[in-house]
Amino acid sequence: MSITVELTYDLAKALGNRRLELEGTPTLRQVLALTRERFGAEGATFDQLTRVTALVVNGVLASRTHSQDTPLQDGDRVSFLKAAAGG
Amino acid sequence: MKGYAGRILDVDLASRTFGFRPLDEATARLYLGGKGYGTRLLYDLTPAGIDPLGPENPLIFATGPLNGSLAPQSNRFAVVCKSPLTGGIGSAACGGSFAFGLKKAGIDILIVRNQSPTPLRLEIDGDKDSVTFLEATDLWGQGTRATQEALGKGRNHAVIGPAGENKVLYAGIVSDERIAGRTGVGAVMGSKCLKAISVTGTRKLELEDQEKFNDYTKWLRKLFRSHPVLGEKLRRYGTMGIVNTTNARNILPTRNFKYGHHDDAMSVSGEYLEDHGLVGVKSSCIHCPVACGREVTVEGVGRVKGPEYETAALLGPNLEITDLRWVNEWNFLADDLGMDSISLGVTLGFAMELQERGLLQSGLTFGDATGISAMIQDIAHRRGLGNDLADGVKRMSERHGGAGFAMHVKGLELSAYDPRGSYAQGVEYATTNRGGCHVQGASMYFESTGPLTIDPQSLRLKAEIPVVQQNLACAINSMVLCIFTTYGMIPKQVHELDPKGRLHRTITFLFERSGPMYRLLTKLKLAPVTWFEKWLTYITGQTFTSGHLQEIGARIFNLERMYNLREGIGGAEDTLPHRMLHESTFPHLDSGHPLDQLLPRYYEIRGWDPQGVPLQRTLDRLQVRT
Repeated sequence: MSITVELTYDLAKALGNRRLELEGTPTLRQVLALTRERFGAEGATFDQLTRVTALVVNGVLASRTHSQDTPLQDGDRVSFLKAAAGG
Repeated sequence: MKGYAGRILDVDLASRTFGFRPLDEATARLYLGGKGYGTRLLYDLTPAGIDPLGPENPLIFATGPLNGSLAPQSNRFAVVCKSPLTGGIGSAACGGSFAFGLKKAGIDILIVRNQSPTPLRLEIDGDKDSVTFLEATDLWGQGTRATQEALGKGRNHAVIGPAGENKVLYAGIVSDERIAGRTGVGAVMGSKCLKAISVTGTRKLELEDQEKFNDYTKWLRKLFRSHPVLGEKLRRYGTMGIVNTTNARNILPTRNFKYGHHDDAMSVSGEYLEDHGLVGVKSSCIHCPVACGREVTVEGVGRVKGPEYETAALLGPNLEITDLRWVNEWNFLADDLGMDSISLGVTLGFAMELQERGLLQSGLTFGDATGISAMIQDIAHRRGLGNDLADGVKRMSERHGGAGFAMHVKGLELSAYDPRGSYAQGVEYATTNRGGCHVQGASMYFESTGPLTIDPQSLRLKAEIPVVQQNLACAINSMVLCIFTTYGMIPKQVHELDPKGRLHRTITFLFERSGPMYRLLTKLKLAPVTWFEKWLTYITGQTFTSGHLQEIGARIFNLERMYNLREGIGGAEDTLPHRMLHESTFPHLDSGHPLDQLLPRYYEIRGWDPQGVPLQRTLDRLQVRT
């Protein structure tokens, strides 16, 4: 049982890793906490880089489908999302 | 009329004659210019059923009242003709410098008629009111880069490459390093044996209120520079800065749109490019403060304009390729050979899936860059299998099968936003008159990629947003302004809201439920609010508001619709590929885009009958003459 956490480019660069594999089926609150933990003493960097990011579960904005304490499911993909514009 | 040069230049390539005539003021008031005026001309100048690659298809280059001013993002021109790719309305817009040149030459619209038997180029001097017809045999076969270098500086050029010469159905027209890419306008130029148009002049555009325009534009430039999208994200990462967002949203075309996510998409993102291989920032659209163009190095070529998001996605993850060096090279080839990299990427992806399913021995396989550069060259020169791919996915699917995964609407290959995770964008693709394109509304910004997004997979507002956005895009493409200017409409404060916070959720909740109020607000004719409304007002002396632009946009959209109906393209073509409708890419859904639930509502809002035909009262209200 595990889930994948995909990081934004800035988070990935700061952590030296594009994605994290988390064992079990944590909640979103735990995902945030566990990801922040990876930053160790640089937790403030994590806070800054996620200040205007949303969380997405399997492509869907998590705030529409999950509370902070809803357990995720095995194989879920959680992504940090930043608004962007392209064309 | 202020804001216009007041002249149409009409050129006949067969007789090598030309003439100037006045711009029609009534038409300009109804259609602004650009795409709108061009569509009106095309409708009036041609009967139904002409051969898009025959002499009777005029190629219309059209500017609008904002071109030639110093308004940021305003150096764009529209090209209108019958599309050889779709058989319906063909139109494309392009940055660069050609629009500015036309206006300086005192020309609002250039109509090129008939065909030359031998390669030709035009030199237009607006100060001398002259057009010179010059042999271009020496340039025939040259890339767009070499052609423009040969034509020299000091004039503004619009040229085709080998793809246009060989009538690749998705060939484009290039100005500087920008391309009018969509619907095959370059093939029409090639069918006329017209290699290049160069224009020069020193005329000054007259504005109704120069002082107000200058003061406002100066203030606005500062605003744009501090805007989170125009001044920061687009400026820093270019349009590729959206790759990680569409990937997280599961709408990044992957493996010929089979999936919406690629594990290694980050390697073709704007952020990655900044750290790996970016050699400069390039603004090849003059007077643009955003400078979204990137500069990269291609081995054996040197520094060239880098890929846009569409190119990175469709020549990248869509082919299961995430090595930027390849994407950079193929992007350069597409630009230099003069073809639309969106249609190219989708066509290559389709050929790969045909190969995978044993329907075509294309030699192209997902994830393998081998042979792609050569194939792009073969497409541009219509050699071997390249001749097949040069016709786009619709025709290929008619020859080889695979219609269910041929990713097009009305024959135009889909852009790089998967509509299964962006329902309003799906309605926009299905109904847009030129086919499956994202810049005829960009609805996805309100549901998937922007700072304030409604639920992309509910039905709320999914018929309303495309109508409003398509109308606005029609107006913008007729001014002619860059669609990116609309990104500035969402203020900085909204971008700074925490998407996880309560205020953000409350605003999106209310927006989703705004329904009729949303449409009503956009129709109001109170006062100019946005910069394009103010610019138009200061330049022309007429008052333009959101309501006026919605009305003008709806008029243009309905005229395009009537053109398509005249060509036999109607409601049956307002659809999406089978894969989009019936295959899910989201684990919580067992089907694709719910177009059948949204189309009736869309038609109703448009004032069309259930078959998608504009009602007479709609045409009368909008003053659309047919």
